[in-house]
Amino acid sequence: MNSIFLQNVFTIAKNTFKETVRNKILYGILAFALVYMLFTLFLGSISLGEDLHVIRSLGLAGIYVFSVIITVFLGSSLLYREIERKTLYFVLSKPVSHAHLILGKFFGLLASVAVSMAGMAVIYLSLVAFEGGGFDSLALLSILYQLFEMALLIALTIFFSTFSMPLISTLYAVLVIYIGHSLDLLMNAVAKSGVFVQVLVKGIYYLLPNLAKFDIRNLVTYDTHIALSQVFFVIAYAVVYIVVLLSMAIFLFEQREL
Amino acid sequence: MIEIRNLSKVFGEHTVVDGISLTIKKGTVFGFLGPNGAGKTTTIKMLVGLDKPSSGTVRIGGKDPTEYHTRESIGFMPEMPSFYDHLTGYEFLAFCGDLFHAKDKSRNHYLNILKRVGMFEAKDEMIKNYSKGMKQRIAFAQAIVNDPDHLFLDEPLDGLDPIGRRELKRIIKSLSEEGKTIFFNSHILFDTEELCDEIGILNRGSIIYSGPIKDFTKGRQLEEQFVASIEKLS
Repeated sequence: MNSIFLQNVFTIAKNTFKETVRNKILYGILAFALVYMLFTLFLGSISLGEDLHVIRSLGLAGIYVFSVIITVFLGSSLLYREIERKTLYFVLSKPVSHAHLILGKFFGLLASVAVSMAGMAVIYLSLVAFEGGGFDSLALLSILYQLFEMALLIALTIFFSTFSMPLISTLYAVLVIYIGHSLDLLMNAVAKSGVFVQVLVKGIYYLLPNLAKFDIRNLVTYDTHIALSQVFFVIAYAVVYIVVLLSMAIFLFEQREL
Repeated sequence: MIEIRNLSKVFGEHTVVDGISLTIKKGTVFGFLGPNGAGKTTTIKMLVGLDKPSSGTVRIGGKDPTEYHTRESIGFMPEMPSFYDHLTGYEFLAFCGDLFHAKDKSRNHYLNILKRVGMFEAKDEMIKNYSKGMKQRIAFAQAIVNDPDHLFLDEPLDGLDPIGRRELKRIIKSLSEEGKTIFFNSHILFDTEELCDEIGILNRGSIIYSGPIKDFTKGRQLEEQFVASIEKLS
């Protein structure tokens, strides 16, 4: 990895970050997130002594849902808009490779999503502290897991947008999120089915990312200990998936006529 | 020097550029003319490495433009440019400039370019609020941000008012005096005649003339001779 590579990726990431954080729709989503977080206070107050549990459970779920919305909304149009509007002519006519562009877009959007999540996390931690729960350090681990899931989803939407329009990319992404969180259920459901169905579902199981691995919200709300080895495994799982998806995105993007 | 040898581009069964060859010497201002759909933009995209040729070769200063390092010495202004709407003119220019290496990336350098193209006053405005002429100027600014040896301009004078056109032509002339090789597509033949040392005329993907303007016009107006040549072939 040479300095030109790093410099190009950084420059494109910085530009992508600026573009995305100045998008008014992002602030619209974050405003909804804020209203939702405050609403969890009310829900906690009517939960008969389970205030903190409700706030933690719904708060972390809220951070996840709003992060997914931001990621899919911005990610599915990120590369497509460059291609459609031909802004990439400015970039690729310079000493920049297709790989630099894809990686720059990835890290730029990841930075925007991370900042958005950090904002929501601050609100969440404040609410938990306000309700007498102290500093919820375990929640930070859950949010870290969610961030890695978002990174994977960004890579996925970039991959989809190398060959499809934003609406189709969004549909694909939503489908993968839904199936990705249901893979274990799916495997159990077909345990007694025929060989063909089992092979098919096994294929899907190994092909699609198992997003349930990133969901430790229940463990966190019940203060369950999480082993360090599991944390490393999940991070490694996300990194491998991201590398594969971005490599395929770069390959497809290089084949595409601009 | 720009060397193009048997360059072709085929989309499906449609040949858009059909085996063209050109040699453009260093310091030449070369006008690439042709009717709409002749293949001018496809050609210029291959010259700056945005598209790969189906066959043939392009050498810019002896190097292949599809190798991204070659593009350190290339400047390109696309036709009807779109921009990142949420950036200011200065931010956009700095972004483009930062993609070059071993070049001047100081704020002063960027500000001087903005002054040169008449965009200094509007540097902190969002590009989405720019007029078409201002967008043309900022697109031109990014094309010269790396002080390129080879400058490729796709319809650079489109959308500019007479004063804007005069200003841009003045800059193109001064760049030519600095020894830059300038290749531009245009359908504004009056300006082409004023700026170019040589022209190439492309019709349905093939070169029908390349060389000095005077040898082509033979005492007539460029536009008159151009229309006559195209009509003769159709």
